[in-house]
Amino acid sequence: MATVTDVREEIVPVADDRLDMRVQVRGSGPPLVFLHPAGGFAWDPFLEALSEERTVYAPLVPGVSPADPDAIDDVRDLFELVLCEQEALSALGLEGADLIGASFGGMLACELQATFPGMFGKLVLFAPIGLWRDDAPVANWMMTAPEDFPALLFGDPGCEAAQAMFTLPDDPAARADAIAAATWAMGCTAKFVWPVPDRGLDRRIHRISAPTLVIWGRDDALISSVYAEEFGRRIKGARVEVLDGCGHALHLEREQETLALVRAFLGG
Amino acid sequence: MKVAMFQQAPYRFLPADFEQHYAACVTPRYRELADTAGITATIHGMLDELVLGARSGFDGVVMTEHAQAAYDITPNPSLPGAVLANTLRTEDIDAALIMLGRSLGKTREPLKIAEEYAMLDVMSGGRLIAGFPVGLSYDANINQGIPGVDTRGRFREGYELLRRAWAADEPFAFNGRYAQYAHVNIWPRPVQEPHPPLWFPGSGNPGTMASVLDEDAAFVLLTWLGVQVGGQGIFDRFWEMCEEKGKEANPYRVAVVQVCAVAETDERAEREYGPWLERGFHHGLGSIPHHFFLQPGYVPLRGLQGMLRATGDPGIGARLHEATFAELADAGCVIVGSPATVRERLEAVCREMRVGNVLAMLHMGEMPHELAEKSIRMFSEEVLPHVRGMWERDGYEHRWWPTGIPETAGAVA
Repeated sequence: MATVTDVREEIVPVADDRLDMRVQVRGSGPPLVFLHPAGGFAWDPFLEALSEERTVYAPLVPGVSPADPDAIDDVRDLFELVLCEQEALSALGLEGADLIGASFGGMLACELQATFPGMFGKLVLFAPIGLWRDDAPVANWMMTAPEDFPALLFGDPGCEAAQAMFTLPDDPAARADAIAAATWAMGCTAKFVWPVPDRGLDRRIHRISAPTLVIWGRDDALISSVYAEEFGRRIKGARVEVLDGCGHALHLEREQETLALVRAFLGG
Repeated sequence: MKVAMFQQAPYRFLPADFEQHYAACVTPRYRELADTAGITATIHGMLDELVLGARSGFDGVVMTEHAQAAYDITPNPSLPGAVLANTLRTEDIDAALIMLGRSLGKTREPLKIAEEYAMLDVMSGGRLIAGFPVGLSYDANINQGIPGVDTRGRFREGYELLRRAWAADEPFAFNGRYAQYAHVNIWPRPVQEPHPPLWFPGSGNPGTMASVLDEDAAFVLLTWLGVQVGGQGIFDRFWEMCEEKGKEANPYRVAVVQVCAVAETDERAEREYGPWLERGFHHGLGSIPHHFFLQPGYVPLRGLQGMLRATGDPGIGARLHEATFAELADAGCVIVGSPATVRERLEAVCREMRVGNVLAMLHMGEMPHELAEKSIRMFSEEVLPHVRGMWERDGYEHRWWPTGIPETAGAVA
């Protein structure tokens, strides 16, 4: 079993050296890129398990790392973010690697695949944002009160995974820093999706040529599972799996099922 | 000391138990709570009280901007500002038009603010004080859809553009990060020379206060908590920074909002105004959830860590939704009583904190118009003349006050 000491961070200068991309790396085996959700990145049990068989690379959206919070000021818009991500992944030799994107990261993975068709391997999307339907508006996670987050992200807000995510450190300073880091991460990612998470992906998504698996929780309260069908329809040949009794953070709430689907789809 | 009248436009007919049923005063449904008669009385009441304040001898009138909220229905303070500018000019009232103001962190049209302020300066006869708030988080980020992390960058860029647009002799192109203009050549320009006084509202962030001093502008503590509670620690820090930067500790550099109410006696003041002030706090700032002030990205990571790590007693500011009148009065958030009581308390706190400009908030929440008028009249007749002389003996020059149209301007040929 991998331990946290196995984690390393690659610092990759991008954008003509204006900016460093920070990429967390862990595990062994063929490379796999994980693009994190709006609230930031953590080595959760799903990624720990995946890193048993894959080398997981997780690029952080600039600013999300507390070591370099101001980096977000150096990325002006979504297009620049996509370029920064691509430059970093290419510099690490990850062209051809499979991409997994969760929620915000799912949108970003779609943008990478649509902007650079053929550059990366297979695409796995966990309840991505990026499309918009007036009859099923995406919930406003930025305006959500802290106490309402478990019900927004989990089908069963009392489940073990929800408790693990929302249990804060006992030490007051560490607790303050954890809340600050998650808040700031949401602020950084919001730059590319606020106030409405639709930056025109619907006009580019047809360019995605990678084999794609879309997984959704049937009870997703943040972005309705009707979007599973939207993504499935717009990405040619995409396979869609909807998990019953599951919310938005599906790879945490239904870790084993998600792992099985991902393993079967990616192969190896 | 300068004493101006600070006015907002809270919806005046919220139910008494509003805070029990609505999670926030910045999200309640209009059609559920407001009606034509109520909204008309609210907006007309605000304007009438501002005009009364201007006619009653206050040194200035103050307006703010808040969108989509029940506690201040003034989407653009230039609208009431225009009404008051015309009143000051046509009635030859020598009072300042203090806009606190149009938010450069929130707007997507910074050049409009340069133009509006210039127009108000002309309309008022050179009586504008130009205030530059960043904008509250819920207002900039939620209402206006500005990503939190962009709020301050937009503010800085917008301010730079505005100053250039006011001063430039030649038209110029502006290639900003947030705003681009092919041709900047605004008409009119402010009539005060070299520009209207610059006031920067804030809540006591050290970085903001330092830049206010560097800019040689005035700092406005924009809070409902008053001089004593709101200013605790903040003004000490401000005057320390002032000394460190080798600037004169001139009290006129500082303005602060203070809720006041005046009646014939202390008892009567408490009886008449107390319940309305209490409700005003409960239904206003007290009904804005904490996370609406701190949308992700609005406060930089380090600042957020500092705020969340602070272990001290958050004080009455964290209990505005339930604070009683007695608590508000004891803390000094409200200064209420007979003319003598209000004079003494106001002078004492302003002297202690070195405050040279008081922005007296005399209407609040659902307080009836007639009661607000009474307080405005009594304050202007029996408090204002007595406190105005404060700081005069100390010989400070007020360099942050409107000058009017320069005499050299001459007449139209």
